[in-house]
Amino acid sequence: MTRKSQIGILTADLRAWIRSGFVCLCLLPLFLTTLPARASDQITAANNVITSMISEVETYLETDPGDIEKRTENITKLLDTHFDLPAIARFSAGPYWRAANEQERVDYVQTMRDVVVDTVVRNFDQLSGLRFTTIDSQVKGDKMVLVRGTFNDSTGKRPPVSVGWRVITPAMAPAKVLDVEIENISMLVTQKQENITIIRQNEGRFSALIEAMRKRQQAP
Amino acid sequence: MFALSKCSLNRISVAPFAAILLLAACSSVPDAEKTDARDPYEGSNRKAFAFNMGLDTHILEPAANGYRNVMPPVGRRAIDSHIDWTGLPATTFNSTLQGRFENAGLSAVHFIVNSLTLGLVDLTEDPKAVKSQDFGQTLASFDVPEGNYLMVPVLGPNTSRSLTGRVVDSVTNPMAFLKAGDAIQTLQTLRPPVAAVSTRANLFKAFNDVKYNSLDPYSRTRSLYYQRRAARINAMVGKPTNNRTADDQFESFLEDPK
Repeated sequence: MTRKSQIGILTADLRAWIRSGFVCLCLLPLFLTTLPARASDQITAANNVITSMISEVETYLETDPGDIEKRTENITKLLDTHFDLPAIARFSAGPYWRAANEQERVDYVQTMRDVVVDTVVRNFDQLSGLRFTTIDSQVKGDKMVLVRGTFNDSTGKRPPVSVGWRVITPAMAPAKVLDVEIENISMLVTQKQENITIIRQNEGRFSALIEAMRKRQQAP
Repeated sequence: MFALSKCSLNRISVAPFAAILLLAACSSVPDAEKTDARDPYEGSNRKAFAFNMGLDTHILEPAANGYRNVMPPVGRRAIDSHIDWTGLPATTFNSTLQGRFENAGLSAVHFIVNSLTLGLVDLTEDPKAVKSQDFGQTLASFDVPEGNYLMVPVLGPNTSRSLTGRVVDSVTNPMAFLKAGDAIQTLQTLRPPVAAVSTRANLFKAFNDVKYNSLDPYSRTRSLYYQRRAARINAMVGKPTNNRTADDQFESFLEDPK
């Protein structure tokens, strides 16, 4: 290879390198501007899901006939629409989710769903008269937003309650609620730690947790 | 004239010994049976929890239920306000140790102003301006490790650090040394049981939910205690505790949700 052709190759490499560097430089501001844009989109999606959910709860409360079947139907629809129940189930089982077999997973998700619906139906009256006001929304990583706010009792009889909603905000799927935090206490973390205790007390048997949940659900 | 109360001295001298005896009585659990690494004395802790639940069922819950039904809201507010007022000297002391002089000053002013009503009526503009501080939080600010989880008979959930804090707070609180007439003496004697009933009444539904609707009330109580304590320490001291925050757990989960 002649000296001239070697120089030619070097020059071509240099040109390619400069070109790619130039492209990177051009893309950098674009990348930097999409970061806040993504965060802003996450916050908007999370706020929308909370606003929409609260609005539905208020509608259900206004039209609640006190009929348990109708209430159960409404709550089930609400939870399926706004809550990521499969993710809630996986998180609440902790490390034992991986150890569970397919049938146990299906049973657990179904039992947990029934327990959550029952709990909300039983305590639905307590939401009456409460108004939620959003205080702020913080992005937590690239997949979650914490929407913090306060429930105020319109009658003034109950003290204000600070509530945080952890909302999963995937880029290609609708935002859904993963956790509710009341006065800095995460309901899902609490449930997870309780579930882990039950499984460990039963020599790591995942089915023991499902049995315990069913037994508790059937108790008066 | 202020003087040392014999009753207060007895209480002060007994509290640390009771705590030491209790710690000595704790028996550890084999690793395989541990349900939480922070709780090596789970066996004896569960016994203490069962004792506390019995106490609650037979004494505290009926008393709190009666209190809710009989005491008018204004009376309940006065009692809550008085209980908060008696904790202000400890907040002043601990805020000073932590270098939070604004909170120390505020709590001292609130204590002096509200002493006109013995704390029964809050005369300050913003009662929530003072952030309650205890010696457990002061120890956290000095990087003292949290220690193990301890369920203490009558007192309830603690860590060894927070229990030490409670003992120090009871010894250093100037309210324990005051004797300014029979009325105040009676109030001081009545304060711990009244505070217990009032707190139980304020948390009546939430407490009963844990007690009657949990899969395992013991582990639920432990989890609630750790989260609440971590939030208090993080908010005021700004130091993370040795339990992972909820955010950390959710972020790890979302990294690998399978």
